[in-house]
Amino acid sequence: MIYAQQIITAFLGSLGFSILFNIRGRKIWYAASGGMLSWATYLLGGLWLGSEMTQYFIAAIIVTIYSEICARIEKTPATIFLTATIIPLVPGQALYYTMSYAVNGLLGEFAANASYTVGIAVAIAAGIMAASSLFRILSALRDHFGF
Amino acid sequence: MFNIELLSCILDIGEQMLVSGAEINRVEDSISRICTAYEAKRVDVFTITSSIVVSLQINSGETLTQTRRIYKYFTNMDKLDRLNSLSRYICAHTPEAAYIKDEMEKIGGRHPYSPLVQYLGYALTAGAFTVFFGGDLSDAAVSAVIGMLLKLTLTFVQRVDKNVVIVNILCSFVVGLLGVLLVRLGIGHSLEKIIIGNVMLLIPGLVLTNSIRDIISEDIIAGLLRLCEAILTALSIAVGFGLVSVFVGGMFK
Repeated sequence: MIYAQQIITAFLGSLGFSILFNIRGRKIWYAASGGMLSWATYLLGGLWLGSEMTQYFIAAIIVTIYSEICARIEKTPATIFLTATIIPLVPGQALYYTMSYAVNGLLGEFAANASYTVGIAVAIAAGIMAASSLFRILSALRDHFGF
Repeated sequence: MFNIELLSCILDIGEQMLVSGAEINRVEDSISRICTAYEAKRVDVFTITSSIVVSLQINSGETLTQTRRIYKYFTNMDKLDRLNSLSRYICAHTPEAAYIKDEMEKIGGRHPYSPLVQYLGYALTAGAFTVFFGGDLSDAAVSAVIGMLLKLTLTFVQRVDKNVVIVNILCSFVVGLLGVLLVRLGIGHSLEKIIIGNVMLLIPGLVLTNSIRDIISEDIIAGLLRLCEAILTALSIAVGFGLVSVFVGGMFK
């Protein structure tokens, strides 16, 4: 139940951010659905994958592929979709707690949370980079062999 | 056919792309592609989050250099989309500088969503993330209201002072205070969930992720700048909420 709730609110949250990022027209629905997809993939990954970081990594890969496909359909840069779709994964909560521990002088908690936050950010960034370079290679191959 | 005016137009495109939320890679790539399309002999573009420098050699052997300093970011994906199409068109057709200026004005003249829709966007986001992190529906309602008030505060504060630290401290202070107030009145249940829903609107989680992305793609300076910016912003948000606990005591952790 909590998972269904999270997936729906991931959709709404991404929809809200799409408005703030001024995504227009039907692209906003692509972006919001991507947000839902990103969290669903993350949760699905939890069934097989042992580590949370791998879940983030895989989710980022899937979402980047999704954004690249949407970008091909709409003939626009993939960033436009990626920025809003990645929002549910992004370590906002972790970053906030990290900093509030720092402000309150709880240095042990701060260190643990800081490495956790950076870990998530690195996992997501690595996922994005992996998927987008895969797409670059594929399109280079397509240009080269003409299929 | 390359002249100062044209270079200035090209830099305008790059600047607007960066401001709207393009990656460093894309900005550098677009600028050098356009310059190459106009048959510049050699193009050197250097972009970091706060500045763009373009230096190019034209066929007559002259060297043209211009720079732009970027102060303020405003994520606007619609604009980025249009700018991207424009730069593709320029690469394909190499129009006159006057044409580019015209198009840039058209792009600049497009309005963002109306204030009402933007307020709803803040409310929707804050409410959704409150439930996402485990709040109930009454928390979501409170969070949505605070989200709108946050937008109001943000609009007002940014008119007076654009400093990131000040803006974030003030905004998170207002959010925290309202949250405590509404929970004490018994309208919301979990202060923590309400706060975290609104924090998602302010916190630079995306900036943090993008900074790592920049570093991985070898834009190390830009990445480090963004990383510091993210830490600074997050720190000032935490300070803002910390201030609330100073004022209202043990109710807030």
